[in-house]
Amino acid sequence: MRWELADKALHSDFRRRVEELSGQNLGECYQCGKCTGGCPVLADIELSPNRVIRMIQLGLEEDVLTNESIWCCTACGTCNGRCPMGVDIVRILDTVRLLSQRSKYRPGALEVLTFYQAFLNCIRHFGRLNEIGLMGSYNINSGRLLTNMVKAPWFFMKGKISLSPHKIRRIERLERVFARIEEIEGK
Amino acid sequence: MRYGYFPGCSLLSSAVEYDRSARAVLGAVGVELEEIDDWVCCGATAAHATSPLLSAALPAISCAAAEKQGLDVLTCCAACYSRLKSVNREVKDDPKLQKQISEIIEEPYEGNVRVLHITEVLGREIGTEAIKAAVQKPLEGLKVACYYGCLMARMPEALCVDKAEYPVLMDDLIRAVGGEPVDWPYKTECCGAALTLARQKTVIRLSGEVVQIAKANGADILAVACPLCQANLDMYQANAEKLLGEQLGVPVLYFTQLMGLAMGLPTEELCLDKVIVDPMPLLSEKGFISGGVYL
Repeated sequence: MRWELADKALHSDFRRRVEELSGQNLGECYQCGKCTGGCPVLADIELSPNRVIRMIQLGLEEDVLTNESIWCCTACGTCNGRCPMGVDIVRILDTVRLLSQRSKYRPGALEVLTFYQAFLNCIRHFGRLNEIGLMGSYNINSGRLLTNMVKAPWFFMKGKISLSPHKIRRIERLERVFARIEEIEGK
Repeated sequence: MRYGYFPGCSLLSSAVEYDRSARAVLGAVGVELEEIDDWVCCGATAAHATSPLLSAALPAISCAAAEKQGLDVLTCCAACYSRLKSVNREVKDDPKLQKQISEIIEEPYEGNVRVLHITEVLGREIGTEAIKAAVQKPLEGLKVACYYGCLMARMPEALCVDKAEYPVLMDDLIRAVGGEPVDWPYKTECCGAALTLARQKTVIRLSGEVVQIAKANGADILAVACPLCQANLDMYQANAEKLLGEQLGVPVLYFTQLMGLAMGLPTEELCLDKVIVDPMPLLSEKGFISGGVYL
């Protein structure tokens, strides 16, 4: 993989925005690679965690924000635990995911984002997650209609699916919380 | 002892057996639970992967409610635990964020509520001596691989539940009820977590490896303390068998189900039939369940 370090990239404010939003100093990373050594999804991604950090340092905004690798992070935190400099790498990845949604670029792994959005929509409406509702809404929105449907009857028979969603009392307050955050984060 | 209980969404549905067995075990050692009033989902990975503010605001709502009730928070789910506890650190480290979150959730929250995972409550606050005293049918000869997953022990500065890469809290509890915890290297490897629907291949590979390594280290059964770990290791085990070309068949139970079994708690509270890889043949062969009939 090759990246052209155009003048534009070198003078972009991408690195500064990531640092500001994540509260992390990217200059602390000296590319030891321990984060990548412990990353459980390494086999499935193109950009390893240390590479993502290097690319942010270099201002390669579009290449980072459009790559699907940033959506494959499980937030397990192994990288954070092993970083000799105490860099909060999960936080940096959270930040680039946020920037990827806000940016003009198309996020690289829409199915993962769709899942998270379906999850949060459910919380917004009920205050709590209804797992069967989430599965249904994810399958419809992602176009993968049969995902896990083989397992659904089993869950139903075992009484592990509650059909009536649990709704919290102060749902109006929660709606205001979501709306305020949307306004602040500019989505 | 009395705690503010934060069940979390999974414990109301797909992990109902964790909720019931945890309540039964806690009750047996004298812990009282009072549900946190009108608690809200912690937001889990979906919130912090997409919105840092939401990932702090959602847990702060429930923590503020617990503060009003004057109780420490007890939760069983590793993800809820990690989110609720992380928000305390976030608002304490950053006064600006603290103010912003308080405004967003319409009540003040300063990050002062103690958040405890059930393993901490049982292992540290109650203590293994009291647990030993409650045992009626020790799990003699049962080799248990205690699987902690990521969220209980990782990010130590925020969590400190145990050693980040080799936790022992659950092992101590299993030993206290007579089981034999195995020494194995995958205690805190990731199961694939929230990628469970969107990236199934990754999840099947990761969770399959965890079960495979547990078995290779002599485990009869896996004990877990996280609803998503349980779902991934159990639900995808058949898929993992195909991928690995290896017979696995390792039952995956919540550690509270095993503890309850040893304490002789009513079987309907333990819900041993609610997992996919059937633990009955193993448990009856070892003599913990008579006849293997369980309905």
